Amino acid sequence: MNWIAVGLAKDVPPGVVIPSRIEDTEMAIWCTPSGRYHAWSDRCPHRGMRLSHGFVRGETLACIYHGWQYNQTGSCDYIPAHPKLTPPDTICVPTYTCVEEGGVIWVSLNSVDDPLPVLGARVPVRSVPVSLSAKDVAAHFGAAGFTTIAVVSDYDTLLAVQPCTDTMCVLHVLAAPDADRKEVSRWVEDLRTTLEGVPA
Amino acid sequence: MSAAIDNHWYPVAMISGIDAPRETLLLGKKIKLGREDGICWVKDASGTPLPTVERFGHLWTSPGQPNRDLFTIPEADSPGRRLVDVGSVKVKCSPLRAVENFLDIAHFPFVHTDILGAEPHTEVDRYDVKIREEVDEVWATKVKFFQPQAAKSAAGGITTEYMYRVPAPTCSVLYKTCPPRPGEWDIITLFVQPLTDEWCEVWPWMALYDDDSTMSEMVSFQQLIFMQDRSILENQLPRKLPLDPGMEVPTQADMTSVAYRRWLKKIGYTYGAQLVAA
Ligand code: FES
Ligand SMILES: [Fe+2]
Repeated sequence: MNWIAVGLAKDVPPGVVIPSRIEDTEMAIWCTPSGRYHAWSDRCPHRGMRLSHGFVRGETLACIYHGWQYNQTGSCDYIPAHPKLTPPDTICVPTYTCVEEGGVIWVSLNSVDDPLPVLGARVPVRSVPVSLSAKDVAAHFGAAGFTTIAVVSDYDTLLAVQPCTDTMCVLHVLAAPDADRKEVSRWVEDLRTTLEGVPA
Repeated sequence: MSAAIDNHWYPVAMISGIDAPRETLLLGKKIKLGREDGICWVKDASGTPLPTVERFGHLWTSPGQPNRDLFTIPEADSPGRRLVDVGSVKVKCSPLRAVENFLDIAHFPFVHTDILGAEPHTEVDRYDVKIREEVDEVWATKVKFFQPQAAKSAAGGITTEYMYRVPAPTCSVLYKTCPPRPGEWDIITLFVQPLTDEWCEVWPWMALYDDDSTMSEMVSFQQLIFMQDRSILENQLPRKLPLDPGMEVPTQADMTSVAYRRWLKKIGYTYGAQLVAA
C-alpha cells in the first residue's frame, strides 16, 4: 500500500492528537507545536494505554496514564515516576512514515518511497466517514486503486480514501480552490447517501 | 473452566441493593441471585444452589469448591469506622486489569489530577513488595505518595502512606493514612466481579474514619475517582492482562504489578489474562 490520507491538517492543529486507523493498524496522529506531523502505533509500550488519549507537551507526546513522554523518533525521553532516570533506548513506540502535503496528512505503512499523490491546485474541504469499504467505494467509481480518486464534478473534486474496516472508510475531500465550500459539502453528503445506498 | 479459577469467592452484589431476584454473569456464565427471609441465595443457570458468604456489605459466591474461607479484614471491624457501600461500575476490561490499576500509584498525577496527585510530585520512591507464601497473598508496603487531596476528609496536600494487599485474584485491599487519625489506616477495597474475561463489575467498599463528610459525599468522591480510572481501563490494549514479560515495560514503580502478574501465573489464574505475547 502506498500513501494513505489519514486526516486533514486543519483538523489536527499543532498540539493536538487524534486516533485514526488504516485497516487493522490503529494510530495516534499528532502535530508538534512547531507543526511536524507524526503517525504512531496507538499503544503505549508501558502498559498499553492508547496514545491518542495522550497530550502534546513541548515537542513530545505524553501518555495520559503515567505521563511517559516520547520524543519525535518515538523514543521514551522521560518517565515521571523516575525523574532522574534516563530511559533505555529500547523503550519506543513503533512509528510510521508521515508527512503533511497540500493540507492533507499522509501515512505510508510500508515506508516505500513512492511519490505523493498529485493534488494539483485543489485544496482540502472536509473529511466524511462512509459506511462502505474503501474497495467498494473504488468499485463504484470504476477506479483501479483507491488511494485517490478524481471525480468528474463541477468542483474538480478529488477523494483521498482512507480504508478503515470492511464496512467503513473515510473520504478526505479536496476541490478546486475557487469552489464554494458549502456546495462541495452538500455534494459530498449526496455522494455519501448514494454510496451507502440509503434512499434520499 | 479450571479449578484454579472456579474455586475462588467472587462478589456478585451489594447486599443492601438486593430486592427482586435478578440475573447476572459470573465468569461468562449466567447466575441468578436474590434474598428470601433476609438470607441471600445464588443459583447457577440450571437452578443448582451455589455457596454464599455475606461479608463486607457484599454477597459472595463461587462456581467451584473454594478450599478456604473468604478472606477477612480484621481492621475493618474496629469501632468508629463508617462502612461505605459505593455501588458498582461496569467496565469493559479484564477483571485483572481493573485490579492492577487499583494497585498503581504512578498514574495519580495524570488521571486523578489535583485530587490523588499533581505534577511536579510524580516520583515514586522504592517500596517493599512480597508474595506472602504463608497466606498466599501479594503485599506492597511502605508506599508513599504526595497527594493534594488524599480523601474527602483531607484539608490540604499531604504525603500519604499506603499498603496494598491482594488476598484473592480479583480483589484488593488498600490501607491508607487516615487524615483525621494519624496512626490508623483507612480501608478502601476493590472487589471485582468477572462478568466475562473482558468485562467486569467493580464493587468498591470502604471502612473509613471520617466524622464530618456525609455518606453521599464519600460515595461521590470515590465514584469520581473510579470514573477517571474507567476512562483508562477501557482504552488499554490488549484488553486482557499480559502475564508473560515482553509485551509491556515495567519500571521500579510497577513492582506491585509485576508481583501480581507473577502470582497470578504461579497460582494458574488465567481468566482475563493473555499468556502469549501477541
Ligand atoms: S501506559 Fe503509558 S505511561 Fe503508563
Ligand atoms: Fe486510579
